Amino acid sequence: MHKWMIFTGGLALVAMISACGPKSTVVLVPDPDGYVGKISVSNEAGSVDIDHAHQRTVVRGGKTAPTEPRSIDPNEVEGLFKGALASQPPPPVHFIFYFQSDSVTLNPESERQLPETAALIQRRIPTTVSVIGHSDTLGNKDYNLELSLRRARSVRRQLVELGVPESSIEVSSHGEENPLVKTADNVANVKNRRVEVVVR
Amino acid sequence: MKFIRFNLIVMVLLLIVSTSEAADDAFVGIVKHVEGSAVIQRKGKTLVAALGTLVLPTDTIRTEDQGTVGVVFSDDTRLSLGPRTEVLIEDYRFAPKESRFSFILRIVRGTVSFLSGQITKLAPESVELIVPDATIGVRGTHVLIKVD
Repeated sequence: MHKWMIFTGGLALVAMISACGPKSTVVLVPDPDGYVGKISVSNEAGSVDIDHAHQRTVVRGGKTAPTEPRSIDPNEVEGLFKGALASQPPPPVHFIFYFQSDSVTLNPESERQLPETAALIQRRIPTTVSVIGHSDTLGNKDYNLELSLRRARSVRRQLVELGVPESSIEVSSHGEENPLVKTADNVANVKNRRVEVVVR
Repeated sequence: MKFIRFNLIVMVLLLIVSTSEAADDAFVGIVKHVEGSAVIQRKGKTLVAALGTLVLPTDTIRTEDQGTVGVVFSDDTRLSLGPRTEVLIEDYRFAPKESRFSFILRIVRGTVSFLSGQITKLAPESVELIVPDATIGVRGTHVLIKVD
């Protein structure tokens, strides 16, 4: 009698456990600027796309497709994600610096931006700062890369002179691969020949 | 002999100068907000996640009962965790010059806010958020995930 009950009880338990796998809820929401992007949620059994705000899909097990997107009350979202949203960091700040032609000398306007940049960095310590050289798609790739790096190093030096801890700054170049204004290959665009300072 | 030694010294100096730029590239993110208790597990060691703590690829970030933490990545992605949450940075690469992009994040449990950055803009197909039993592709911008 007892063995039979234990066996059935055991089976029921196994059935319960296998039905109680993890559940994943995925919600698309507007970003702080109000922009709504797009996500896709997929597994072996199917895939759904979400491109409207406050829509969610639920996944339960790999053999069941993610559920069709359904609206979720923004207040419920606030409640479920309160902690994560509370720890959302402020966005990094980007400063753009422009130079005189073929030189590491800053334009007067960019020169005037240096103290404000240094001051923000100080306010955000502890922080990491990236000083990134960019070039446009015109001309010799190697030359542009080298110039963009020299310019980035020059901006770093000037920020350090204004009191920014050198150890918080890393210098790099994105070459022509991360333009401000998208252009075809071999096109001059003064807006792309810049140094970007990213403060986190 | 003197000439060779001088050249050697110059070469070593140049090497030091050039690698000091690359050295800091190792970090991919920085903790910019923390409440309560949060830790980073890295290669078997556990570190406290505090304001300013740097984050590396293959780190696991975990919050305790009342803990929440927010991280900003090199490409501007903002990731924040609610309490009792665990995520693993499986891969992260932001190197536009070499066209190398990757952001693979595994959400083990808990609540997560993912606010996409430049990797999603430049190479959205290289972003994957992995939950038990599904993968999330992100074309932008703000996605909330709960695993329980």
